[in-house]
Amino acid sequence: MNPRKDLITIDALNDEDIRTILDSTSAMKDIFTRSVKKVPALKGKSVLTLFYEPSTRTRSSFEVAAHRLSADVTTFTVSTSSVVKGESVHDTIDTLMSMKMDYIIVRHKHSGIPAVIARHCKASVINAGDGSHAHPSQAFLDAFTIKEKYGDVAGRRVVIIGDILHSRVARSTSTILRRLGAEVAYMGPGPLVPPQQHTGIPRFTNWDQIFEWKPDVIYLLRVQNERIDSPFFPAADYHAAFGVTEERLRRIDDLDMGIMHPGPVNRGVEICDAAMDYRNCLINNQVENGIAARMSILYHLTPKTQSND
Amino acid sequence: MTDTYIINATWAITNERFDLRVGHTEEPEGISLSGIPLPGVTAIAPAGEMNVPAGARTIDASGKMLLPALFDLHASINIDGHSKRESIYRAGQAANHGGVWGMLVMPSRGFCFDNAATLDSFYEAAGERSFATMIPAGCITEGMQGEQQAPYNTLAARGITILSDGGKMPDNLLMLYRAMKYAAEMNLTFAIRGDVPCLTRNTYAHPSTTSYNLGLHGTPACAEEIGIETLIRLAADTGARLHIQTVSTAEGVAIIRRAKQNGMANLTAEVALHHLLYTHEDIGDYDTTFKTVPPLRDQKDCDALLEGLKDGTIDCIVSDHTPCLPFAKKQDFVSAPQGMVALDTFLPAIYTHLIKPGKLSWADVVRTCCTTPAAIATPYDREEDTPIASPLLLFTPDSQYEVTADSLSCGTLNNPQLGKTLSGTVTLPIN
Amino acid sequence: MPSISKEQIERALDAWAAHLLQTTAAAQQGSTLAIVGIVSNGDVLAQRLVEKLASAGCHALYGAIDITLYRDDIDLRGKRPALRSSHLPFSTDDLTLVLVDDVLSTGRTARAALDVLWEYGRPERVELHCLTDRGGRQLPIQPDYIAFDLSAEQSPEVKVFLTETDGRDEITF
Repeated sequence: MNPRKDLITIDALNDEDIRTILDSTSAMKDIFTRSVKKVPALKGKSVLTLFYEPSTRTRSSFEVAAHRLSADVTTFTVSTSSVVKGESVHDTIDTLMSMKMDYIIVRHKHSGIPAVIARHCKASVINAGDGSHAHPSQAFLDAFTIKEKYGDVAGRRVVIIGDILHSRVARSTSTILRRLGAEVAYMGPGPLVPPQQHTGIPRFTNWDQIFEWKPDVIYLLRVQNERIDSPFFPAADYHAAFGVTEERLRRIDDLDMGIMHPGPVNRGVEICDAAMDYRNCLINNQVENGIAARMSILYHLTPKTQSND
Repeated sequence: MTDTYIINATWAITNERFDLRVGHTEEPEGISLSGIPLPGVTAIAPAGEMNVPAGARTIDASGKMLLPALFDLHASINIDGHSKRESIYRAGQAANHGGVWGMLVMPSRGFCFDNAATLDSFYEAAGERSFATMIPAGCITEGMQGEQQAPYNTLAARGITILSDGGKMPDNLLMLYRAMKYAAEMNLTFAIRGDVPCLTRNTYAHPSTTSYNLGLHGTPACAEEIGIETLIRLAADTGARLHIQTVSTAEGVAIIRRAKQNGMANLTAEVALHHLLYTHEDIGDYDTTFKTVPPLRDQKDCDALLEGLKDGTIDCIVSDHTPCLPFAKKQDFVSAPQGMVALDTFLPAIYTHLIKPGKLSWADVVRTCCTTPAAIATPYDREEDTPIASPLLLFTPDSQYEVTADSLSCGTLNNPQLGKTLSGTVTLPIN
Repeated sequence: MPSISKEQIERALDAWAAHLLQTTAAAQQGSTLAIVGIVSNGDVLAQRLVEKLASAGCHALYGAIDITLYRDDIDLRGKRPALRSSHLPFSTDDLTLVLVDDVLSTGRTARAALDVLWEYGRPERVELHCLTDRGGRQLPIQPDYIAFDLSAEQSPEVKVFLTETDGRDEITF
């Protein structure tokens, strides 16, 4: 792929970029089977994780990925007790510039922050989730997980279920899957699924429609009460109306569908206990593939920190 | 002062050409064209028929349009971090560049027109520093906090005729209802944008492909429409004059049209120029220049707003001029402040994007940007105790210019025309 | 452009396999032999050699390694090279290992390949076998076996085409 400094959205990538990063993910995963699970590709490079929103999983996944590429990882602790305003992000950029970081991995609750940071610094900026906008590394690990399980993403059907309105995962994962030739549909509570004319993605309202559509993969989103500023729907209904109940799991099993979830799962909300042990539950594969996908992303980006200008 | 002769100018409304003599003498009756007074003009004749004395100062206005200068009913002039005098000077200069002779200055953090002292110091500074006539709009509530009514009697005594909390719709309708009842007796006009604050809190774009793709919470059109309907009901009940600010949706236009058709008097409405020219798609990849309140909407809304202007539902086009420092606009879309500056390029942008493509006629523009807004604001010279008439301007449609940072005098760069080429240059005053 | 034909390559591979049987295989003395090709082309050659050895009754393990992540010039190129999967399904502990590549020049690839091998264990002995040598060494690395020595040709570019990937066997220089 052509040299690219940042990864902010899937939309910014061309088809070759997407293919290259996916192909290399597989090579990265080979490394995990060796006794020495580390390669020297990014030796001497510095990676900074800058998380304005708490996320142990994504942050550790990136940190493990960076360590396996021999990069040095620094964690920039941002106070989460006070509301972090855009101005302080600007000031932080200056600080980061003087720290001479090569890669900056950013998560922020505002859509668009990683793009602002990327514009103003030479380091490669990787969006680890911004507001309701994008989460491209999640998209890559999801696409890779489907590719690994089914051989190819093209021609697969995936339904994404839950809070689409607030979900960066829904946006990025649906984008990469459709770019790779899959069909995607959305399902969730009315106020949380934007209309098809805005998303370009068909919208289901209940499980019967899903079973009729016969997707290969059921992709469950986390119900994120912490991000929803006010009640959007009757929360007590969620499991019965939109979750994978034991009864639905039996049909999912009959139809041999896969189950995915970006984690962490709310058992008894999006998903029943039994579904976690279901034979086609790919949630653990997603976690493992997340490290390989993030290694591939780190490897393929080229920071501008080498140049002297 | 000696007379100046302006030869072969095209009167924008009728497209007829005239010669004019502009001089010092004040004629009590004055000369008017198409019912519009021409201040300072002491003689007028069809082109070529004016007797120009040898050696007289002559301006050849061939190929130039003559029209009354524009009045902007909605400008915020405060520039963060600059002195008030500097903000006033900048806005006045920008207005003159854009063909605007006078403006209604919205109260803002820097110019909180809720007391006599602030108004007095503003009048003084504006009189000294501004190239344009500045009419302040008084606050509806103290500190624009939406709670306690401002002292309308005091404000009216200082020349205030229009009240506004800078576009903000108060949460407390009981407060507004009582304010309207009180102020109706004083003939004050309420200038408010239709909104339901709890529906638009933490929203940043029109619900659309753009809001979905960028992950920005959508501002429902119904919030504005419910707001407009509410304001109309309150005004009808209280008898207050109402001016609805920055209508942005097709249904908003339809609601106002129905009210006017039903005979509601004392109701006027405005549209911001940017709601006629841009849609949510212009936000592109988080271009904060295009962050506005209300947000840029769909093309069908732009079309309906234009239709509303032509049939008189919407009375005027305003700049909704809002200076934002480059630093502030460089932030992410959610954190960046809303608003554009438009005064510098006001008439050239209207000409380039609305008149030239045939969307509006010169007569429409004179009505919606000059005579009607001036009539709503009733600019008044408090020292001379006389109404102020619009001066004339000359507009050269054929000249083109590129809008550069240097060509903007308003003090900030959040102008969507920056880097674009516009047709037409303004000469104001004409001699 | 001078070239080496399919027949010449075929004969060279036979001689190469014979050499492996005589020297390396004979010298291994109980330790297992593994032929490990460097991706790309080296893996194809390694596969062919393993087959030739098998038909001569000698069992050798086959492996392929991608050395891209161990290159010393990743930063010097604007574009990151594509990655290929490595295939080394065994520990290299105590093996006699023959590293196979198509073109030997600066020796940097061989250096990286040695680093890769050590991530999989501690081989008993490693040899370097190459189809061609075009000279221009920049590191203290010498091959144990060369099929075609082109170092005297001072050819700036040696290209190896193999049927499995390119549809034909040919070497041009």
